[in-house]
Amino acid sequence: MNAVTPLSPETRPAVMERSSGCAFVALRQSRGATRLADLAQAGSAKAILPRVAGAVPEVVYLNTSGGLTGGDRLSYRLEVGAGCRVLATTQTAERAYAAGEGVAEVRVSHSVGAGGWLDWLPQETILYDGAALERHTEIELAGDAGCLMLESVVLGRAAMGETVSRLKFRDARTVRRDGRPVLLDPLAFDDAALAAAGGFAVLGGARAFATLAMIGQGAEDTLARARAVLDEPGVEAAASAFDGKLVLRLLAPDGWPLRRQVVRVLGALRGTALPRVWQV
Amino acid sequence: MSAAPPGLLNLVQWLSPAFPTGGFAYSHGLEWAISAGEVRDGASVERWLADVLRFGAGRTDAILLAQALAAEADLDALTDIARALAPSAERLRETEDQGAGFAAATAALTGFDLAPRPLPVAVGQAARTLALPAPQVLALYLHAFAANLVSAAVRFVPLGQTEGQRVLAALHPLIDALALEAATATLDDLATSALRADLAAMQHETMDVRIFRT
Repeated sequence: MNAVTPLSPETRPAVMERSSGCAFVALRQSRGATRLADLAQAGSAKAILPRVAGAVPEVVYLNTSGGLTGGDRLSYRLEVGAGCRVLATTQTAERAYAAGEGVAEVRVSHSVGAGGWLDWLPQETILYDGAALERHTEIELAGDAGCLMLESVVLGRAAMGETVSRLKFRDARTVRRDGRPVLLDPLAFDDAALAAAGGFAVLGGARAFATLAMIGQGAEDTLARARAVLDEPGVEAAASAFDGKLVLRLLAPDGWPLRRQVVRVLGALRGTALPRVWQV
Repeated sequence: MSAAPPGLLNLVQWLSPAFPTGGFAYSHGLEWAISAGEVRDGASVERWLADVLRFGAGRTDAILLAQALAAEADLDALTDIARALAPSAERLRETEDQGAGFAAATAALTGFDLAPRPLPVAVGQAARTLALPAPQVLALYLHAFAANLVSAAVRFVPLGQTEGQRVLAALHPLIDALALEAATATLDDLATSALRADLAAMQHETMDVRIFRT
């Protein structure tokens, strides 16, 4: 599934250089089509535009450092112009390794102009024991713009017998419309929350979880379609529609059933093929 | 001189089950967790409530309330934040309907112009006139939140009355610690780890038979 194979924690050198990267893409309507208006990349962050000529252009972000550790800085930015429809994702799962000292900071800052739509569908984030990651994902909507956003998190790899008990993880999603917050979803998992993760109000023992949210015109009308496919074996998921939003929480024992469920929900909500990096 | 600090009896009255906030109708998803068999006795009620207080809406409500108590608070901005934080249709309704009931009743009693707002912001809006120490207000708010859910559990698990009160008493140290923490927290500290409490509130929407509104 991945184009880039990251180094396992054992094979990464004990003392690593801090990586930093920033990738910025702007797409705008021009002469009746969505076209690349700006592209800037620095350090370990890259943006690939495999299908800009298509009806719905895709932007694929990539962290070439192979994973995040303490002190790393990563920034992905996307400007979706008025009236544009864009799908953005990441090339591979992001891995946050044991941090040593410091915290990895990731900033995802997207904006969508009036009449535009963004599907922000990054692949999952895998957190290793001892990881320290603070991620802020912000989407600014203008006027009647809308978005579909996903975040999937996996605590270690169950198949490899990994358990995660030490963590410093903050993962905050913010969607604003014309500057006012319409969705705030700040998650935090530290050692104390992991110790309580077996509780039925916390994770009920799940090791993988995802939030999927659609904000914008018609979002509430998709509730029945979403609920109809929430039956993937091993996955617990539920959906709610309110206040111009559709919000889903999904939990699973491991990343793969979660991914299968997410792909089915995305299929039901979007009705069009997922980008190649998402195909399972 | 008076026996209780000025304002304390007002706050105790406002946060009592008899106040027309309507809390008895809301279970915060607990009804689903009980129906699913996940919460079925005193120990599991205590665990569920402790996790919701510490990792879920208890803590985030306390932070919002602390922010709303501050003299320079922007209550409209806090209202937007509280609404945007609600993870599901019923949880939004739970905080908005109770907040509207609370604001209307406190406005009628105090004569102040108090707009309907999500519950923690509505309580902060009214309680800031009482000049009580913030940790005290937060502790009583969290206690009322927990007591309301204990009362739902007593009716629906069911638990004995005394067993329910034992659960509530066991939560006192946590409530106290959370109130102290939230009193000095900032909006950047808002966060949840109680994802299955959100899931329970969403699952509650599709239950065939429901006693509670959430």
